[in-house]
Amino acid sequence: MLDHAGFVGLEWGPQIDVFSGSKHESDAKEFDTRGVTFRAVKPH
Amino acid sequence: MVQLVKPAAVSRDVLRGNIQDKYTDVATEPEQGFHFHTGLPLTAMLGYDSAAIDSLPAATVESFAGTGNPLAIGRLAEGAVVLDLGCGAGLDTLLAARQVGQAGRVIGVDMTPAMLDKARAGAATLGLRNVELREGFAEDLPAEDASVDVVISNGVINLCPDKVAVMGEIARVLKPGGHIQIADILVHQELPQDAKDDIELWSG
Repeated sequence: MLDHAGFVGLEWGPQIDVFSGSKHESDAKEFDTRGVTFRAVKPH
Repeated sequence: MVQLVKPAAVSRDVLRGNIQDKYTDVATEPEQGFHFHTGLPLTAMLGYDSAAIDSLPAATVESFAGTGNPLAIGRLAEGAVVLDLGCGAGLDTLLAARQVGQAGRVIGVDMTPAMLDKARAGAATLGLRNVELREGFAEDLPAEDASVDVVISNGVINLCPDKVAVMGEIARVLKPGGHIQIADILVHQELPQDAKDDIELWSG
């Protein structure tokens, strides 16, 4: 998806279990859902 | 060959309505509790600097929702023009406005008027003149082509059925050489199509 939009230089930050302790925790665990942070560049 | 994700078969307008209702509640009745974490406990979970959070208006923090800290992956340059896609109550918007300084500018975009009201009030409380709030959608951003240095976003793109369209729109508003700093959720297991098409799972 990022490639398709033309972004390059993808960098990932840490992943976080953002649904831990929430009402959607079981659904999130079933599909191994994590919070992620990323950075990418639109080329010149 | 690029493999594109098949868009979910949900009504975009119905989904937007459901999400607006949900996030109006987060803005106006944050104490009621939601299926996702919100507020001050969430900022701690996501690793925000506690001193920075304490310096923000309580009304901004109580209505915070997100899935990460988009500002943690890189400090914003002084003077940068930043667009906060789905700014909500404005927590990241206000922190970004401080980073870019008076020479910079932050444009917060959200589709929920109650959230924009809170973001606007937060900027006024802090006396930040480099914040502008605009109502709009991720798939049709209210910004000129190649007008923004950085797009930040926090837990918003997962709520958009057509993510390819959203990423294309982000690319449109970014200047060449500009970049994205995005926090969102990633599903490591393949979701069955019926789950993707279940509108209740989108908006909770």
